[in-house]
Amino acid sequence: MTRNQRSDALHDAVQRFALGGSPHSFSDLALEIAQFQREFSAGFARLLEQRGGALGDVDRIPGVPSDAFRLTRVALHPDSEDQARFFTSGTTAGARGIHAFRRVDTYRTLALQFGRAALLAAEAPPLVVALAPRLDDPPSSSLGYMMAMFMADFERQPESATLAAERWLIDEQGVNVTGLMRAAEQALESKRDLIVLATSFALVALEDALAGRVVRAPGRTVVMQTGGFKGKSREVLPAELRASVARTFAIDPARIVSEYGMTELTSQLYDATLPGSALQAERRGSAGIYCEPPWLRVVPVDPISLEPVRPGEIGIGRIIDLGNVDSALAIQTEDRVRRVAGGIELLGRMPGATARGCSLSIEEFLAAQST
Amino acid sequence: MSPNDYEARRARLEPLLQSARTLVDPATERGRQARERLVRSSGLSIQGVELALSRCLETEPSEREVEALIRGTATAQVAHVLLSANVFVAAHRAIAIGLAASDTVCVRPSRREPEMAELLLSGAPNAFQLVSELAPHSGDRVWAYGSDETLDEIAVTLPPGVAFHGHGTGFGVAVLDGQLGQSSIEEALALLAEDVALFDQRGCLSPRVLLVMGGPPAAREIAEALAHALGELEERIPRGELEPAEAAQISRFRDTAHYAGEVFSAGLGFVSAGNDERWLLPPTGRNVHVLPSADPVRTLTPFGPLITSCAFAGDPALGSALRRALPRARSADFGAMQRPPFDGPVDRREA
Repeated sequence: MTRNQRSDALHDAVQRFALGGSPHSFSDLALEIAQFQREFSAGFARLLEQRGGALGDVDRIPGVPSDAFRLTRVALHPDSEDQARFFTSGTTAGARGIHAFRRVDTYRTLALQFGRAALLAAEAPPLVVALAPRLDDPPSSSLGYMMAMFMADFERQPESATLAAERWLIDEQGVNVTGLMRAAEQALESKRDLIVLATSFALVALEDALAGRVVRAPGRTVVMQTGGFKGKSREVLPAELRASVARTFAIDPARIVSEYGMTELTSQLYDATLPGSALQAERRGSAGIYCEPPWLRVVPVDPISLEPVRPGEIGIGRIIDLGNVDSALAIQTEDRVRRVAGGIELLGRMPGATARGCSLSIEEFLAAQST
Repeated sequence: MSPNDYEARRARLEPLLQSARTLVDPATERGRQARERLVRSSGLSIQGVELALSRCLETEPSEREVEALIRGTATAQVAHVLLSANVFVAAHRAIAIGLAASDTVCVRPSRREPEMAELLLSGAPNAFQLVSELAPHSGDRVWAYGSDETLDEIAVTLPPGVAFHGHGTGFGVAVLDGQLGQSSIEEALALLAEDVALFDQRGCLSPRVLLVMGGPPAAREIAEALAHALGELEERIPRGELEPAEAAQISRFRDTAHYAGEVFSAGLGFVSAGNDERWLLPPTGRNVHVLPSADPVRTLTPFGPLITSCAFAGDPALGSALRRALPRARSADFGAMQRPPFDGPVDRREA
């Protein structure tokens, strides 16, 4: 089989696995994808080689550091075959990386499968808006792309309907509070749930813009919040943000669902708090404990040896995402994580070896590249 | 400046220089104590401390350098000096600048590395005073060395009328013409290895990147040779201890470099070789990234504000072009990157 034939077979297998019709186990598929990537990615082959070259234990598949996406192309296929390219925004760092996708249908299948489970709690289609800038064309942000996909799928609308400006409630002036109020009003009038998809910093900006006012929204409003603050707003502790957003929309804090995703991944994690959602019914999670979808595994590893830590210990997250068929199966993040009952606890980014004297840190170097 | 003024300022420097001279001598009790204390505070190996003291502590600056330091330093009612960690010898120059500015000098050592300032003071009693907090008033000047974050914090808390001289983070680069003869290249790399190893690369002048003028094969060959030179040097001058965060960054960067290109072991450190001009800064701890560059001026210009020091070996015309492109970086020979003239702050990029 050619590279693309093998890739297609793996994509199909992963999609079947996600939809529940696969005879394979997670480990089988992970090892098969890792073997495929060893054969067609010189970078991964080198990485594997320096760890002894064995591919027997899924938890020990070496992770490609997310920085690699800034430094080189992380893809098994040539760029002429890219169906989509999502750019990292950088955290505090400036140099942008690219995650190239040869097939976006796997992305769609996986994101929708788990997104529906985490964010939908009613049969009737909700009204979905995003506290985010309007999606560009072609889409360069994986988050924006996912938000647009959720709008169309959750509302059962054609994708063209997601282009409407009133759905994207951040513009040059900041948060479009009037637009949000109007959407909430519309949801109330049409007796639909409202789903607000937002980044953490957009929610802080909303709070600041509202200055204590509330949004008159349906009681079954759901807010999906994701990401850190990235220097774009003041920092707010997750519990505080959850409480203040709940007050703003006058909803139960359990209706604020946290999502964890990265441009370098295909899949997302959510906390399982939303009453009535499939994920909550299955996992009964609590706020801030992120549930992995069955096709993704977080392995906390020691930041120096990069070996898995003992159960319950804090490590940095290595994320094995079966959706990353054509890029890097395992991504090594700098996020501190701990496996707890019900999922993964996120504990913030690993502190860099930065603020010691006058040697320039890697983060500072990356940040300066954007200015 | 009247001759008397100049002489008074010059005279204030002499006890400090004398104190530094006695520290360098391992045969003296002060020299012995200095080594013992600095090994503990710096985390460097004993050989690393010895190398730093013998190569980088400016005990015999030329009169021309001293004159430049004095004439380039503004006077102050009181000079306040906040010292950085990592490069312990830097305390000497920083205090000298304070003494050139004022007869009252308050020095706040780094909490991580308080030893060098104490050692200098013990050999020059009353030349300056050690303080636990800086308390400047209008008419004073503050010289602060450290991370940009620290400098920002200090700058916003200063009372009105206090002049601030901040010297923040940066890194050094080296540029080598890959067409030089084999022996010249080997010599340059041996010298560069010392520049890298000093202070285990935690200084703002420490080279972290080597640009090779030539194609990827030449860069690869030179990366391998540099790794060899660093490995050899480590046998004589072992690397010091790493903090866990440093070790974690090294693990992470090493994997990034393996994925993106080639990595050569260099003792406990490594040298990575890139294939193109997209590059990341390797972590400290004796690690260097080598990349080919047909046009180093173009490659380095975007990073000009971050570059503190640039060593060059090759066509002198290109050396001049680099100096023009990086006006605020110290220009140095290979092997002298950590020994800039004693003519003012090591870092010319005052905030």
